[in-house]
Amino acid sequence: MAQFEKEIVQAVLIADNNVWNFKPLSDDNSTALLPLVNVSMLDYALIALNRSGVEEVFVYASLFLQNIRDYIKQGIETYASWSFKMKVQVIGGEGCRCFGDAMRDLDAKALIRGNFILLGADTVTNADLRPVLEQHKRTAKFDKGAAATLVFKQCSNNLRTGNELLIALDNRNDRLHYHQRLRMNQRETRFPIPLDIFLNNSSVALHHNLLDPQIAIGSPSMLSLFSDNFDFQTRDDFIRGLLINEELLDSRIYVALLPPTQYAHKVNNWLSYQLVSRDIINRWAYPLVPDMGVYKLQQEYVFHKDNIYKSHDAHVPKVALRENVVVQTGSHVGTGTVISNSVLGANCRIGKNCELSNVFLMADVTILDGCQLEFCVVGTGATINENCIIKSGAVIGNKCVLPAKTQLAKKLVSAVKPSQEYVLETIGPHAYIISDSATDDPGDSDNEDLLPQQTQCIPKMGDLPSHLQPEDSDYSSSSEEDGSRAPTPLPDDTNIFLSEVVDSLTRGFREKSNPDFLILEINSSRYAYNMSLKEVNFNVVKAVFGMQSIREPANNNVLGAINAAFKQLGTVVSNYIKSPDAMLDCLKALEDVCEENDLVREKISQVVHYLYDKDFVTESAILAWYNQLDDEEHATLKQSLTKLVDWLNQSSEDDDEEDDESE
Amino acid sequence: MREQPLKEVTQLIHAIKVGMVEGSYSITNKTLDIFKYIIMSKSWQNADELMRIVRAQSRIMQAALPQETVTSNIARRILKLTREEFDLLHAKIQHFADDSQASLSLHKLVTQTSESNVSVDYSKPQQGLREALLDHLQEVETELETSSENICVQAEEHIHSSEIILTLGHSRSVENFLKRAIKKRQYLTIIVAECAPSCRGHNLATKLANDKTVDIIVIPDASIFAMMSRVNKVIIGTHSVLANGGLRAACGAYTVALAAKHYSVPVIVLAPMYKLSPLHLCEQDAFNMVGCAEDVIPYDSLPAREAKVYSPMFDYVPPELVTLFISNTGGHAPSYVYRLLTELYHPEDLEI
Repeated sequence: MAQFEKEIVQAVLIADNNVWNFKPLSDDNSTALLPLVNVSMLDYALIALNRSGVEEVFVYASLFLQNIRDYIKQGIETYASWSFKMKVQVIGGEGCRCFGDAMRDLDAKALIRGNFILLGADTVTNADLRPVLEQHKRTAKFDKGAAATLVFKQCSNNLRTGNELLIALDNRNDRLHYHQRLRMNQRETRFPIPLDIFLNNSSVALHHNLLDPQIAIGSPSMLSLFSDNFDFQTRDDFIRGLLINEELLDSRIYVALLPPTQYAHKVNNWLSYQLVSRDIINRWAYPLVPDMGVYKLQQEYVFHKDNIYKSHDAHVPKVALRENVVVQTGSHVGTGTVISNSVLGANCRIGKNCELSNVFLMADVTILDGCQLEFCVVGTGATINENCIIKSGAVIGNKCVLPAKTQLAKKLVSAVKPSQEYVLETIGPHAYIISDSATDDPGDSDNEDLLPQQTQCIPKMGDLPSHLQPEDSDYSSSSEEDGSRAPTPLPDDTNIFLSEVVDSLTRGFREKSNPDFLILEINSSRYAYNMSLKEVNFNVVKAVFGMQSIREPANNNVLGAINAAFKQLGTVVSNYIKSPDAMLDCLKALEDVCEENDLVREKISQVVHYLYDKDFVTESAILAWYNQLDDEEHATLKQSLTKLVDWLNQSSEDDDEEDDESE
Repeated sequence: MREQPLKEVTQLIHAIKVGMVEGSYSITNKTLDIFKYIIMSKSWQNADELMRIVRAQSRIMQAALPQETVTSNIARRILKLTREEFDLLHAKIQHFADDSQASLSLHKLVTQTSESNVSVDYSKPQQGLREALLDHLQEVETELETSSENICVQAEEHIHSSEIILTLGHSRSVENFLKRAIKKRQYLTIIVAECAPSCRGHNLATKLANDKTVDIIVIPDASIFAMMSRVNKVIIGTHSVLANGGLRAACGAYTVALAAKHYSVPVIVLAPMYKLSPLHLCEQDAFNMVGCAEDVIPYDSLPAREAKVYSPMFDYVPPELVTLFISNTGGHAPSYVYRLLTELYHPEDLEI
């Protein structure tokens, strides 16, 4: 009889994304419950699912599980509009540390019976996913190996929030062939796309203007693929793994693009938080707008012109609100204060003569007279005393108390004192400036992302570029560069091997895993791609320097980054670099690195000296390498090394002399 | 004291918000079903309790859907019905059988205020109230069902052969009205303003164009004024009728009404009785609803970042621009709306 039962539409919602990016507000509560225009992000995701006709939702969370459970329970009691015709279950475990673990756990629990919608709790969308689900079912009928359909949204905006993608897909059946996340901080000058994509397919479309809102339709096989491949940690791992081993896993990924009228965006950092808040207030995400009351039974706001949403019982003089402002119940604003492009939570009190623009206040915030706030977030219950100036992406944590006349920019402030070494500055009894760069991540496993981000610095709010600037100049200059550089194309396997080693090392570095395991991983990759020992030596060193933390070090302090990396991964490197030949390989790799990384090139002599100090390379190896450097090709390199080599020669002579004397 | 909403009420609110229930006719119908269910349920013992439940649920719906006034209108009808039935039964039992009590005439209403200073005690249990109410509810239901038909019947009186009619957007009653007219009259020309950005006028045009005997012209909203000089009559629907006889109608209706005024073209508004609301236009901002910005300009476009984009749903049309209302009970002038309201609703129920 089972086949006559109507198939229920199921969905999986992954909470706890971007925990690190939303520090310090993510310390006290789940990021899924972070309010976005006074409605928690979890609500947005649940509404999106409810509107798409989903009947059963599993919310998967690992941090603050109880908070999420309570929130869901409370939502059902207060008739939150997602609670109709939709069953919401919260599952999760403390042991779950990444997206992949969540998927494996779901597979083990066998809760998913058919195709399902997979969503991050940080997704805001008004899209109707039913057509996409139908499309996935159709593809699955033709192709039994269809593992997932990824949903992307076209967007021509030039702003990078870490969600932008470059993909290659087959025009005829929307099959995904290539998937590359665009870099957050700097623009690529080139996109390496494997040639076989064009050789093996008669029609390929490249899309470079896509946003990834973290929406996917999964087949039941998607979960078992995660179980079979225990090294899949993130959704990106899954996609990359499937694209590389298409034949081996017999699975394929498809792509669906949302129609332009539907809005979808992911809120993964403060920058996108600001962006999405603005879009919601400007009614692009309609009907997910404040005055529609889609989340609660009661309508909360009255809509006034200039996109001002004011609660019925907020005491705000009309002149105080300029444009694009949301004010929730119980808030009080003093005279002479001007607010624009901001969100005020419930029961906020703002004094006289303040200036607020692009400010996001959670509930119960108190701001005293004469403050100037710009591009910042203030957590629940925080107090800002008189005449403070806070700007450029500062984040004030929950319950912070800022003393009068504080001036802050680009800083994260927490109310509780974290362990001493991560406090940069103490500005008050309840205000500590904490470090914001992930390279200083203490590796606290509690704060591990379910979806780890590659970014090292938390992107901050700021003035959004008002125009879509034409980027032609960028591309034209890149073509010139191509000619001058003429990189030697590496064989394909080597490239894959290198990227795998980089991945292993990056992960190992971040998670402080046992170097023995890393060596094991690298060795297994080595056999998988049939690398010679020489190539392995070369690539391991290259990979260490190719890690994100060294390529884009915090504060351009490349030596510090190298030191940190070698402290952690030194054992791995020294495992490979033992013989004099290997040392030569190591230095050759460094030579390669210099070509690609300007920061390393500038500091090359210090880097080599560091390696020498730590006994990775011997002086004879350095000298041998130095002598074989081509005078013309590596003139600058040689020049910067001269001093070091002289010194080495000197010291070796001294040694010799000493030796002689001792004899 | 905060009342808990009934399960049916919350479901209806959700359905309306999501857009599963659309159009004031179906919303009215569904609301009536809920009140019928309340009356049938055993949760009340006397008229007072029933009225309190109806008021509470109606308030909840009003708070959730401030723009859908029909829900409160139906609640007012139910309250009035309850009062009447109670009075009637009360009178019967007291053997003060007075036939004139059953229908409150204007005279009675005017004089009543002085004599009925002692307010009626509705909390007394009354035998047979439930049955009487259900009986009367049946009447309301039939009235609702036939309202569209009753309006249509009047089509012949207002539309004559070889006339040019202009309408705006897509209203269910206008569609039926015009279909009826097309059947009865020859050589009609119907001009449909498309009513951007939703362009529901296109739907109306395709539905009317099934009849080959009529000329259909679809025009953009911008050409309403240009076309008006040729038009004989404007026939529009409305979202609701306000207490002063003004309209809360689809965006664009004000343009049509002003152009019609300029060329002295009569404006006929089709409004079934359930759309009459005892409300006044007080705050312009809260009166309207603003739709999706995406309808107006694409999200990706250059000015989308800087511009403020509004896509309002309603227009307020003042009563002096309306020539005639056609309801299921006949034609009325806008100045007569207040009278209809006093007949429909009890004065004490205007504020729920």
